Amino acid sequence: MKITIAHLYPDMLNLYGDSGNIATLKHRLVSRGIDAEIKTYVIEDDIDFENTDIVFIGGGGEREQLTVCNRLKEISSDLKAYAENGGVILAVCGGFEVLGKYYKTASATVEGAGVLDITTDYCDKKFVGNAVIESDLIGTTIVGFENHSGRVDIGTHTPLGKVLCGFGHNGKGAEGVVYKNVIATYLHGPLLPKNPVLADYILSKAIEKRYGTADLAPIDDTLEIAAHDYAVGRFLSK
Amino acid sequence: MKKLRIILATLAGKLLIFAGRVAGKKGSYTPGVIAMKIYPDILKHLSRQVREEIVFVCGTNGKTTTNNLLCSLLEASGKKVVCNKVGANMLAGVACSFIESASVFGNLDADYASIECDEASLRHAVKHMRADKVVITNLFRDQLDRYGEIEDTIGLLNEAFDKVGDTTLILNGDDPMSATFGIGRNAVYYGINENCSEDVKETNEGRFCTVCGADIKYNYYHYSQLGDWYCSGCDFKRPYIDYSADNIDLDGKLAFDINGEVRLDLNYRGFYNIYNVLAAYAAYDMLGLKSDNINKVLGAYKPQIGRMEPFMVGGKLTVLNLAKNPAGFNQAIATLAADKRTKDVLIAINDCPSDGMDISWLWDVDFEKLGEVGVKSIYASGERKHDTALRLKYAGFENVETVDITADTLRRIAGGNGEVCYLLVNYTVLFATQNILKTISDKG
Repeated sequence: MKITIAHLYPDMLNLYGDSGNIATLKHRLVSRGIDAEIKTYVIEDDIDFENTDIVFIGGGGEREQLTVCNRLKEISSDLKAYAENGGVILAVCGGFEVLGKYYKTASATVEGAGVLDITTDYCDKKFVGNAVIESDLIGTTIVGFENHSGRVDIGTHTPLGKVLCGFGHNGKGAEGVVYKNVIATYLHGPLLPKNPVLADYILSKAIEKRYGTADLAPIDDTLEIAAHDYAVGRFLSK
Repeated sequence: MKKLRIILATLAGKLLIFAGRVAGKKGSYTPGVIAMKIYPDILKHLSRQVREEIVFVCGTNGKTTTNNLLCSLLEASGKKVVCNKVGANMLAGVACSFIESASVFGNLDADYASIECDEASLRHAVKHMRADKVVITNLFRDQLDRYGEIEDTIGLLNEAFDKVGDTTLILNGDDPMSATFGIGRNAVYYGINENCSEDVKETNEGRFCTVCGADIKYNYYHYSQLGDWYCSGCDFKRPYIDYSADNIDLDGKLAFDINGEVRLDLNYRGFYNIYNVLAAYAAYDMLGLKSDNINKVLGAYKPQIGRMEPFMVGGKLTVLNLAKNPAGFNQAIATLAADKRTKDVLIAINDCPSDGMDISWLWDVDFEKLGEVGVKSIYASGERKHDTALRLKYAGFENVETVDITADTLRRIAGGNGEVCYLLVNYTVLFATQNILKTISDKG
């Protein structure tokens, strides 16, 4: 069994240790005897969606995000078809914004890839801090760090979770989006290392799609759970 | 009336600094805030009395070391210097260093001021005082929740430079980000003219030209984005280097030539220190000063708190080092790699506001490299010890122990199987750890 992960444009998007997500997916596959292939795509590459099981899009600086967004628009019909067909995408930070219909910066409105029916407005007050959300999707909490000027209107999409601590994507109590097997969130950088349940959810969706069923054996998550629970305990008690 | 407020402000500042010292504080911040409330122009009043020049030192890493090296050079030349030695580098901290050097009547007897300044604070500081020279050490990715992206830091520094009027910039020519400031401004550059480092996998800031946006390419490369660089799209490239290091010897020490004129042979380690020494030397030279004793003065320099600071604990060499961002950590790891002894290692990460609350950057550090440097045992500590332990697990360490830093644990770690012990800690862990090390280190 093999799962292929497409890491989109780390030459542009590498703002906050995004590689932790790729490392986590790989570790959790390999620990279960499943082969993991990581394909790193640079901006001018063509993406082999046919043989891709998980797409990861991270965050970058404003200029790099614009370059990525323009590239995603060029391939948007393939990317949309992949998502509509149940392909797994994890997008964090700026990756969340570029999947929408548009995002605004201080000076411009940028048309997005349109995979998600969401729009992002700009606000000069940044939402920065640790965040804890409760996600019905995976039946537990997700911990992370957010740092964004964007305020997202997720329209009729389902949020990834309810904000227990932090701001969320628009300061109104919800964070992120789940649409089919697309998960997008402002909880940036190394989201998956200390959210092993979310990581396994993503893996099981990818395995189900490729192989019909997924049965992920438990692995040693002592340190993962300690880091997760520490964040929940510390930030929820405030 | 003005005179009275000057005296009150100076006196209050001095008393509060003293009270802070008694309470065990190293840096000073609040006394400066209060003094500036009593007399908002106190910094203007004091800095105006500096007889010769005021030098600012800015940049992500190496500020404190560079500034203190410069101060040592100046003092060795018999000059009186105002200097914020422990690195209280926001506006209020700068005010404290002037207040400390002044008399209670608000009179300052100083030839030079050598001032470390936070990148975001320089634009405030230059409203109060002139900046005859500004040294930039480097610009690396640092604490994104505090400073924002590196482009934002460049914007803040440009704002300061536009305000400052007549100044000379002393820039790291090997850094395509720092070199940007020299465009259209009066600047000299320092750099390393020799390809002498192995390739390090790192988060590479500044891969895009700040002028045209094309890729930055390298003839050779030192670390992070530092090297002999040129833009692939326009004619922006590593500038002519006015102060260059050659003939570098890193084998257990730090020896190199500056401009082929001065041979330095220093007993502190770390490739990055070449830049700190170069920057300090360049500033000293640009002030028009000369000395035959450069090597002696720099050789006698004692690294500041937690800059590869040695202690002996139970007969074991225990080295305390501050590392607070990926570039700093990767350089610390490179220094560990250059030390062939086996080692026990502690990594401690806090997430207080002054550390940066966002610890995502742990995943940008090449901790994987630690697996190749003879680590016997490894420990994770600090508020974020669990995140740190998890990161180290991914770096290939199977048995990472999480600990709190106490006298007992430090003794135990130093008593491990390694020949030497390294403690790599970030900012707010540093002082407490140093205090404990002082109490448990071997006397005499």
